[in-house]
Amino acid sequence: MATPEKTAEQRALQGINADYKERFGFHDAENYLYKAPKGLNREIVEKISEFKSEPQWMRDFRLKALDHFLARPMPTWGSPILASVNFDDIHYFVRASERAERSWDEVPADVKKTFDRLGIPEAERKFLAGVGAQYESEVVYHQVREDLEKQGVQFLDMDSALREHEDLVREYFATVIPANDNKLASLNSAVWSGGSFVYVPPGVHVEMPLQAYFRIHTENMGQFERTMIIADEGSYVHYVEGCTAPTYSSDSLHSAVVELIAKPGARIRYTTVQNWSQNVFNLVTKRAIAQEHSTVEWVDCNLGSKLTMKYPSVYLLGEEAHGEILSIAFAGHGQHQDAGGKIIHAAPRTTSNIFAKSISKDGGRSSYRGLLEVAKGATEARSKVVCDALLLDEDSRSDTYPTIRIGEDDVDVGHEATVSKIGEEQLFYLQAHGIPEEEASKLIVNGFIEPITKELPMEYAVEMNRLIELQMEGSIG
Amino acid sequence: MAATLNSMAEVIDICPVSELPPGGMRLVEWEDLEIAVFNCNGEILAIEDRCSHDNGPLVEGELDQDECTVECPRHGSRFDLHTGKPITLPAYVPVETFPVTVDGDIIKLEVE
Repeated sequence: MATPEKTAEQRALQGINADYKERFGFHDAENYLYKAPKGLNREIVEKISEFKSEPQWMRDFRLKALDHFLARPMPTWGSPILASVNFDDIHYFVRASERAERSWDEVPADVKKTFDRLGIPEAERKFLAGVGAQYESEVVYHQVREDLEKQGVQFLDMDSALREHEDLVREYFATVIPANDNKLASLNSAVWSGGSFVYVPPGVHVEMPLQAYFRIHTENMGQFERTMIIADEGSYVHYVEGCTAPTYSSDSLHSAVVELIAKPGARIRYTTVQNWSQNVFNLVTKRAIAQEHSTVEWVDCNLGSKLTMKYPSVYLLGEEAHGEILSIAFAGHGQHQDAGGKIIHAAPRTTSNIFAKSISKDGGRSSYRGLLEVAKGATEARSKVVCDALLLDEDSRSDTYPTIRIGEDDVDVGHEATVSKIGEEQLFYLQAHGIPEEEASKLIVNGFIEPITKELPMEYAVEMNRLIELQMEGSIG
Repeated sequence: MAATLNSMAEVIDICPVSELPPGGMRLVEWEDLEIAVFNCNGEILAIEDRCSHDNGPLVEGELDQDECTVECPRHGSRFDLHTGKPITLPAYVPVETFPVTVDGDIIKLEVE
């Protein structure tokens, strides 16, 4: 019997799946204005600050952070792979262009070519309200729709924000994540470069997402963007970030700091589709403040990287604030996804949900690590934590490390956790209906993650499903 | 001006003003309490010496005399020395403050 012809989608999937290298992992010639030598010291930090012509307070902040970084030991929890990060083998600053341009035509041709291949300008035209594109250490392109600009929405790269809105940046910078919060936040604070600054004025709703795309290109590169979003009273913004890098045999490091401030009645949704190549350590600190009646949602999808350690958190500081963390982690061969989230209820009638889903295959390891804290006085707080893990084979591993601290009696807190394997019965049932084994396996995985992918904007949900399906290729047998 | 002292409270002598110049910090132990006393540009202020986030010793932190804040050396939370409130995360619960008076040349602290 002739093999049935593959559908266009299947052919496309197979094409994309040829390898990550083809679609995201390609590398072009290096053509930089400046590339710092490997290693970190005071001179490098001063040079970064000098390049950016920063005010003295920021230079002092960086140098103090460097002292914290050098004084702190490497964390010993999380993952044994963490010990193999070699901080001396990283380039801490690489400059690809003079400034963040507002037209793609002004971006250096080879850099623009990279973003064209990744489809960023096309996505901008179709469904985004603004785009920031970071290449190595700095943002090379930044644009926001004119109508939003007229309403007072600020969407700039962080370096420009420091120049153009110094007072606003200084008021909030490092108030959510201090330089001394943890070793990696100290590192970011010392060498930060790029990232986004978003300010949404009171009552303004940004209906289409703002997107940032982060690209590492150099081997042994360190990317340390710094992002801050301030949603003023009653405003709404959805920020989406994506990231990829070429595949190299030696390691790169990505260590971002992201601070969100939702003022009374505001809502911030922050979506990440992390798809770094498998030679990138992804060690990120993300934290949000939610004031009264505000909502902060983290939608955190981790597919790539060698090791990810990331636990987005929400501090519910005002009455009736709401926090939501939706997390998907996919760990394939050689990967460890140590993800999760933290919610701190610090005021009465605050509510939260954490939904975490992980899939491990081919010896990959995923961990859910979470904290739910209800402070004394946070009466009538309500929270639900659900973490589900799916193991696709005997070699893979899943761990759950939930911490729950309750300092108040009058609360309603629930925690559920499941670990399951793709069942023979489920597979058999689907196969009995004529669905090939591999297809059946994909269907089960899609159903497993659907509660989270349905929260993504359609274009990202399609992409996410494709990426998951690609990761699933050849997982049976 | 000296603050009014609570008649139920106990007043303890800390040190002569000359021993705690502007920018100075001093740890005072009283019963099971540890109290950090600071001189912010001539104003003497006292707070509980225990960060509400992770019990960090605030007296070993960095004092900002202009802002009248101290930064916890452990994770970087900054506390307002007048109110005891954290003005940066990760701490979110205020620490206790203690009334201070200067009687003659002696700094005195009111504890309960």
